[in-house]
Amino acid sequence: MDANALLLGVVVITALGFDFTNGFHDTANAMATSIATGALRPRIAVALSAVLNFAGAFLSLKVAATIASGIVESGAVTLTVVFAGLVGGLAWNLMTWYFGMPSSSSHALIGGVVGATLIAAGSSAVKVDGLMSKVIVPAVLSPVFAAAVAIAGTFLVYRITRNVPESTRSRGFRLGQIGSASLVSLAHGTNDAQKTMGVITLALIANHTIGPGEGTPFWVVAACALTISLGTYIGGWRVIRTLGKGLTEIESPQGFAAEGSSAAVIFAASHFGFPLSTTHVCSGSIMGAGIGKRLAEVRWGVAGRMVTAWLFTIPAAALVGAGAWKGADVIGGTGGVAVIFAVAVVFAAALYLAARRVPVTHANVNAEWTGTLDPEKERVA
Amino acid sequence: MNQYVDVDALWKVLVVGLAGGVGLVALFAVGMVGLAARTAPNAGSQARVAGLALAVVCFTIVVAGAALGLYVMLKK
Repeated sequence: MDANALLLGVVVITALGFDFTNGFHDTANAMATSIATGALRPRIAVALSAVLNFAGAFLSLKVAATIASGIVESGAVTLTVVFAGLVGGLAWNLMTWYFGMPSSSSHALIGGVVGATLIAAGSSAVKVDGLMSKVIVPAVLSPVFAAAVAIAGTFLVYRITRNVPESTRSRGFRLGQIGSASLVSLAHGTNDAQKTMGVITLALIANHTIGPGEGTPFWVVAACALTISLGTYIGGWRVIRTLGKGLTEIESPQGFAAEGSSAAVIFAASHFGFPLSTTHVCSGSIMGAGIGKRLAEVRWGVAGRMVTAWLFTIPAAALVGAGAWKGADVIGGTGGVAVIFAVAVVFAAALYLAARRVPVTHANVNAEWTGTLDPEKERVA
Repeated sequence: MNQYVDVDALWKVLVVGLAGGVGLVALFAVGMVGLAARTAPNAGSQARVAGLALAVVCFTIVVAGAALGLYVMLKK
C-alpha cells in the first residue's frame, strides 16, 4: 500500500467518523419531541430514526456535488485539507455533544474546511459571498422561519382542539408526531448522509481514484448510510435531553406542531435549494412550539446558550481545522496526518470517558430538567 | 443585499413552509375534532357520520400532502 492509498484510507475513515457523529448528534432533531412526550419509547424512537435515516440515504442520489463547493476554491482542496476540515467538524460535534448542545453538523464541517483552506491556501481561496449566501444568512433565517411556522401551528392546534377530550387529543397527536418525526428522519438521511458521500467522493476525485465526472461509487453510499444510521441508533441522549426537556416542556400537540413545521420547512428548503441546517430548523421549531402555547414556557437561558454555540460553530471548527492542517503540515506527509488522526482519536476517547461520569441514557433522558444536563441533580437538591 | 440572499427561494420556502407546517398541521387538528365528535357520548348518529367523514377527509389530505412533499423533495 503506498502513501497515497494510506492517506486516502485515513480520510475515508475520518469522514465516516464524522458521519457517525452527525448521526448521533442529530437524532435529537427528529426524535427529541417524540421521546419527551412519550409518543415513542426512547429505544424505539432511535431505532425508527436509524432505519429511516438509512432508507433516506438511499432514496435520492443526486449527490450534493460537495458541501464545500461555492465556499472554497475547489483547486485549493487537497486530501490533507479535506482531512483537517473533517477533524475540525468532528471535534466540534463531539464537544457540543458532551455539553448536550444541538449544533449544526453542516456548519461544523464547513467551518473545518474553511479553516483548513484559509491556512493552507490563504484567504483568497475562501469565497466570502458563497459563505454569506449559503451559510451565514440561512443560519440566521432558518430558526426564525421554523419558529414562526411552529408558533402559528401550535397556536392553531390548541385553538382548534380546545373542545377535544384530553385523552383523544394526546393520543391522536402522539400518532401524528410519529408520522412527522419519521418524515424529519427520512429528510435527515437524504440530506446529511449525502454530505459525507460528497466529501468521500471529493477525496476519491482528488486522489484520481475516480474521474471528476463519475458518480459516487455504491460502496460509498452504502457505507455512509450504514454509518449515519448506526450513529443515530446509538442516540445522542445528551442532545435529545436538552431539546426535549431543557428548551421547553413539550406536550404532544406542541411536539406534533414542531415536527410538522420542521418537516415542512426542511422539505421546502431542500426543494427550492435554500440551504438550511436541520438542527437550526428543528431547534427553532421546538422553541416556537414553546412560545405558541404560552410565552413563559421557553427557558431562554438554554436557548441563549444554544444560539451562542451556533455562533461559535464555524469559527471554532475553523480553528481546529486550521490547527489540524498546520499540525499535519509541520510534521509532514502521511505521518503528519496519522499523528493528527491519533490525536483526534484520543480526544474522542477522552470526551467519551468524561461523558460517562454524568451519563445520559435512554433510561434517564426524560428526567425532570433541573437547570443542567445532569439527570441525577434533583436527588441532591 | 440580494447578492447574499436568494430572495426568490426565500419567499417560496416561507410560503410552502407555512402551507405545510401550519396548514397541514391545522388540518390534522380539525381531523381530531371530527374524531372527537364521532366518539362523543351525546352525539346523534348524523353527527357521528359527519365527524367520521370530516376526520377521514382531513387525515387523507394530510397524508397526501406529506407524500407530495416527499415526492417533490426526492424528485429533484
